[in-house]
Amino acid sequence: MKHVITRKENLNSADYLIDVVAPEVARRFVPGSFCVLITIPEGERIPMSIQKAEDDKITFYIKKLGKTSRELDSWKVGDSLYKVIGPMGTPPPIRKYGNVVFASDLVCGHAENYAMCKELIKIDGNHVTSIQSFPTEVDVYPEKELCDTVADKFILATEDGSKGEKGHYLDIIKDLLEAGKVDQVFAGGAIPPLRDLSILTKKYGVPIYATVRQIMVDATGMCGSCRVFIDGEQKLACIDGPMFDGHKVDWEAAISRLAMFKNKEAEAMECYNEKMKGVK
Amino acid sequence: MAIQRRVPMREQAPEERIKNFKSVPLGYSKEEAITEAKRCIQCKNPTCEPGCPVRMDIKDIIYEIAHENFEKAFLISKKDNAVPAMTGRVCPQEEQCEGVCILGKKGDPINIGKLFAFVADWARENGITEHLEIKESAKKVAIVGAGPAGITCAVDLRKMGYQVTIFEALHMAGGVLQYGIPPFRLPRDVVDYELAFLEEIGVDIQLNHIVGQNVDFSELRENYDAIYLATGAGAPKFLKIDGEKLKGVYSANEFLIRVNLMKAYKFPDWDTPIIYGDKVGVIGCGNVALDSARCAKRLGAKEVFILYRRTKACAPAREEEILHAMEEGIIFKEMVCPSRIIGNDDGWITGIGLIKTKFEGIDKAGRPRPVNIKNSEMEMDLDTLIIALGTTPNRLFLSNAPELDTYSWGGIKTDDSFETNLKGVFAGGDALTGGSTVIAAMGNGRDAAVAIQKSLNE
Repeated sequence: MKHVITRKENLNSADYLIDVVAPEVARRFVPGSFCVLITIPEGERIPMSIQKAEDDKITFYIKKLGKTSRELDSWKVGDSLYKVIGPMGTPPPIRKYGNVVFASDLVCGHAENYAMCKELIKIDGNHVTSIQSFPTEVDVYPEKELCDTVADKFILATEDGSKGEKGHYLDIIKDLLEAGKVDQVFAGGAIPPLRDLSILTKKYGVPIYATVRQIMVDATGMCGSCRVFIDGEQKLACIDGPMFDGHKVDWEAAISRLAMFKNKEAEAMECYNEKMKGVK
Repeated sequence: MAIQRRVPMREQAPEERIKNFKSVPLGYSKEEAITEAKRCIQCKNPTCEPGCPVRMDIKDIIYEIAHENFEKAFLISKKDNAVPAMTGRVCPQEEQCEGVCILGKKGDPINIGKLFAFVADWARENGITEHLEIKESAKKVAIVGAGPAGITCAVDLRKMGYQVTIFEALHMAGGVLQYGIPPFRLPRDVVDYELAFLEEIGVDIQLNHIVGQNVDFSELRENYDAIYLATGAGAPKFLKIDGEKLKGVYSANEFLIRVNLMKAYKFPDWDTPIIYGDKVGVIGCGNVALDSARCAKRLGAKEVFILYRRTKACAPAREEEILHAMEEGIIFKEMVCPSRIIGNDDGWITGIGLIKTKFEGIDKAGRPRPVNIKNSEMEMDLDTLIIALGTTPNRLFLSNAPELDTYSWGGIKTDDSFETNLKGVFAGGDALTGGSTVIAAMGNGRDAAVAIQKSLNE
């Protein structure tokens, strides 16, 4: 199977999207599921949220963060990824929740947000509000990639107020919770705000599914790297999640474990930069 | 009069091999293999053969080696064993064929494992392959999992003429041979070569296919005449003590997958990293624990400890591996049980709490039972901990096949002919037993192939 890149677009200066041929993943995709990418034979197995599946292609939002995401950014339409595996994970059911609020502030959250909104809105009795926040104007995605076309109500926010409403999603969701019009929250993106949002929703007695991003290796339940502690019980983000009841997650452990390979990631980046200097 | 001592195996010197991931044994030369094979007294009723889970014709193979008929020896071994170069290296021969060798009574048993590895390596180097004439059948069999049980069952069924497709979740076939056993025990060129044989004979291997996730189990049931579930026991057991969430605490699976499957020892040339400290502790004393400890040593850890609640004399690890580990400077701390993992404010492990143990009675498996000694708690500094307590059956597949009968511990239930409660669905390997050896899983795969053939002919 050749996983050909059929589309590549910049979302802003730091994020890009690609469409990749992966019929095995596309045919079984459910909103909230993810897949594993291996870009080159020597590459890592990287978990990646799926924004949408159409025909035999799937779409990813990718942030230029480490070595792999930067290297992949230099690829062009027509190039092929080594492996695309999935879908994986056990997302929450698509059902009637009532007034649903989605929130996200980072690539992975935006992708899931889009996929879930699109399906939940089809269920009678659901009213879906999507909040996507970005640090500042230049970080905002092009309009067609935002959730304004797939949600009943869409709120764009920037932390400095340069575009849309001013604030992080936390600030905006607080007002909605205060107004008492929220039955269920879904959220993804950076982990520390997810912790804060979980604390906040608990205060208002509103349930929350939070995407607990953790480091995975095989992503099939074999390594235990992505262990998440739910009410003291060990679960695996790869097969039990990655969405969990945010009120029960041990967030401090999740935040701490996500940073385990930080120094190694920097080292990989340094080596890649050195190599690229040689190329030029 | 038979020579009592076996021809010694040349090995990489310990001080050298702890710096690389190359094979520890260097293999027999032709002359060495012939000399060793000639020690065999060719018993009228060989005791070695019934001890072999895949029932290899051990006596005949050794006879042919002794007479320099390496090709013939290889073809006889290949008849019963799809991957002889691998089993020659990783089987617990001392408990099987070699353990019951008559020569072992007065001297050393024949070095059967190393002789078989020699023959298979010789065949590979000389381009000798088995030529099979397959009488094609239209019947299709799906096999879930490309580990030892799955590949053995696949080869046997393919030889019988069936159309065989293996569905493998990972991006490489081999199961534990690929992700678990390190290259210094099982070189990857050997693994690649023996797995290529499957495709040569027409076994279709579908990598990256997770049955239950991107392929429906019901789809397989509709499209295939029989199914063999060899999903393995890949889920790690944890200690369930305080501190397991700390950074620097690994399951042996994670540590070994990073090193063996993802080649973290080649980081940053390969992308997957691994973190280890100067002082690495490994809980457990099976082969997986020793593999983890020896990998940590090779990665560059200064001190590596095996922390075990029994003594190494009653450890499940192979004697040869314990010996190799000791030569490599792995430190064995026996009769200690972990009580808690200690960490710092940044969430990194800094040490472990251990309780001394003593033996009291015998457990169900017939081993001395360790019990904790009161008020004997002590602490030990560590910056990495690897937990190697064994594994349980993979629940990813099972959770997607609720109609399948399982035991409470996750093992798949079958009858004597390895058939599950679902007609035409068979199971085997570690998914059935909960964790065993490569060769036992292979034996199971062979037996299942016969049962599947019988069921397809009904």
